[in-house]
Amino acid sequence: MDITQQNGVEEHNCTQHYEVLQELGDCYTSVGNYAQAQRCYEKAASLGPDEAGPYVGLGVVALQQELFDDAEIAFRVACRLDPGSAKAYTGLAMVSQQKKDYQQAFELYMKSLELDSDNITALLGLFQTSCQMGSFAKIIHYLRVYLNMHPGDTSVMFSLAALYTKQNQFEQSQKILLDILALDPANQEAANLLEEVEHSLAQGSHTQT
Amino acid sequence: MGDTFENYAGEPKRNEMPAGPPKSQGPMVSILMPTFNRRRYLSEALASAVHQSYANLQVIVINDGGQDVGDIVNAYGDPRVVLINRKENRGKAFSLNEALARAKGKYIAYLDDDDLYYPNHIEALVNALENQTDCRVAYSDLYKTYCNIMPDGSRQILGKVVEISRDFDRFLMLYFNHALHVSLMHRADLIEKTGLYNEHLSILIDWDMTRRLAFFSDFCHVPQITGEFYSPVGECDRISIQQRKNKSDYLRNVLAIRTTRPAKPWPKIDDMSIIFVADKLDKQAGRTIGSIWRHTFYPYKLYLPLPQADFSRLNTDMPNIELMPVEPVTSLSQRVDAALRRCDGNYVAIVPSGFRIQEMWIENPLYALINSSAAREGFELEGSTDVLWAAVVKKQDLQYARKNSPEQSVRQSLTSAGIAMRKPSIEELPFQFDGLLRQAQLAEKDGSWIQAARMFEYIAENYRNELWMKTRAARAFYKAGDHGRASELSKQVNQQRPTVDTLLLEAKVARERNDLNAAIERLARAQQILLGKADCLAAAETNGYPAQAKSFERSRG
Repeated sequence: MDITQQNGVEEHNCTQHYEVLQELGDCYTSVGNYAQAQRCYEKAASLGPDEAGPYVGLGVVALQQELFDDAEIAFRVACRLDPGSAKAYTGLAMVSQQKKDYQQAFELYMKSLELDSDNITALLGLFQTSCQMGSFAKIIHYLRVYLNMHPGDTSVMFSLAALYTKQNQFEQSQKILLDILALDPANQEAANLLEEVEHSLAQGSHTQT
Repeated sequence: MGDTFENYAGEPKRNEMPAGPPKSQGPMVSILMPTFNRRRYLSEALASAVHQSYANLQVIVINDGGQDVGDIVNAYGDPRVVLINRKENRGKAFSLNEALARAKGKYIAYLDDDDLYYPNHIEALVNALENQTDCRVAYSDLYKTYCNIMPDGSRQILGKVVEISRDFDRFLMLYFNHALHVSLMHRADLIEKTGLYNEHLSILIDWDMTRRLAFFSDFCHVPQITGEFYSPVGECDRISIQQRKNKSDYLRNVLAIRTTRPAKPWPKIDDMSIIFVADKLDKQAGRTIGSIWRHTFYPYKLYLPLPQADFSRLNTDMPNIELMPVEPVTSLSQRVDAALRRCDGNYVAIVPSGFRIQEMWIENPLYALINSSAAREGFELEGSTDVLWAAVVKKQDLQYARKNSPEQSVRQSLTSAGIAMRKPSIEELPFQFDGLLRQAQLAEKDGSWIQAARMFEYIAENYRNELWMKTRAARAFYKAGDHGRASELSKQVNQQRPTVDTLLLEAKVARERNDLNAAIERLARAQQILLGKADCLAAAETNGYPAQAKSFERSRG
């Protein structure tokens, strides 16, 4: 005869405090208040000891402060708690990248993108690592997958166009650059690259004739 | 106290803090605090009672035969605190009655030994009662605090949710409790009318009292959050919850409560008389009577106009039965007439033996009748037929009909008297709010979030309980992906009465919009509420009770 019996215990009610702290930690991280962010994540970790989120947060905070060993430990804990956490693998990849272990970083970014192909941080990290390693074949695939989901993302479109250009695939590059300029006619970078690509295409055509 | 977040974005608002020194003006309030073997939490509960923004208090702690709590109470050295230190365990109802005998206040408030008042609790309720002349009972909203009990007995707060913020509904109060006892305050003199707490009940003693209070007063719902009660996750040690597991005992208590009729006059409830019509008291009649007992929650008295010889076969503990001996040759109409002369209810139901009785069998048509504006109208009961005719009418209409046409059957006489008999439409039934709420909750369960959200919004617009329903709507809109509407509704709620849930929702949307400062401000306020117990400690310190503050701090672990 108590109305509360009708409602039952919603799972949300038991994770509310955790959620507040996790959100607050993320916000503090975004504004660069790492000390407060760290306190929030630590408290969140005590409320949700099986959750990977706070450890990802702690890893990011450590990474931002260039405490790479601390960051690696936090991201590893997050991976152990949730082997499906793309963010944790991205974090580990970023640590490897900072430590100039590009091969390891590349593999970890790839792993992260396998778990979540929508992860822009991993995608851009992979792009950077690819550039650092001079290997572009795999990144092209992921950029295309990402663009299928976010067709209007001009920064990723430009990255892909740049890669096609480096691979001498001028026609693909030209098509994408025209698409960028259709979406954003004032995009000077795209306009400059297009000029370069069209010049290369014209040269190629001239050579053929 | 290593747990505060005082450095969050600027100065967090302590919206539960008293604005200034405790108010010494105003009528005395007696706070009744029964306790039994919960030393761990008593200190904190007591601190919250003593450190109110309203000073004219009498706090009566009743140790119901548990571990000694004298040291905890004496630590306050506060003349307003009285300890009844009984060695024998007699139960909560006995303890409350014992405290009521010692209460000197104009108003009575309640606090369990493991719950908490915020410092504005008493002041908010006194204000409501002093300003609302029609209400002699008031109640506020409370957080249900989900927590883990740690190995040292301390509580780890997982969430704080206002699960009920229900405006008063008398009909509902007769069916179940929607005013938590910890949030309740009533005039002390009402106890003279309701009678004391029922010491024969093992559970639901609070609902028994709020139900009885509803016979004599309207309740004022103060939609402020003025305290919290705890819900440990997993196995719960609450005595009341343990006791509810015994189903037959639970039912026995419910039936005892439903059939309790305080002494008349009842200014707020019209009595109902049920006239049971049968040739004789056979098994079928016995079953019908038993069903009436089990399925009726509106206050009633059952009249049995039967031959004297039948009464010896009546073997029941059912209360509120009036036996009316009639000659065996008397017709059924004459039996109704005989009973009608004795009925003291404003409404009369006529129910034949063998009539199918189920939940809401009488309450549905009765509610329609109570709220009907038609001058001469009665309602037939669901399942009524020519053979088993059952109805509820106003007593004066039935008297008029029987006086005009005593030779006719009851049904014919009502028709002859121009009393229109019909069945209630769906819109006339009680608990419309609850029906819609149930549908919205089902939509939520099915994952139909947008449908649920719209229903919650519709309920908020049309069926009162606005803040509660807007909060539910905001959450459902967020789940449905309409973050804009979720934020808008949360903002509306937060402007009136911020809650953790609505602050969290508003913050999430602010963050999505990259308004990080706004998000941090909302989240810091949510966190402040989650750690809200610090307010009691701060109040203790500012009110000059350093020893109690230390004791309070120790009690928090």
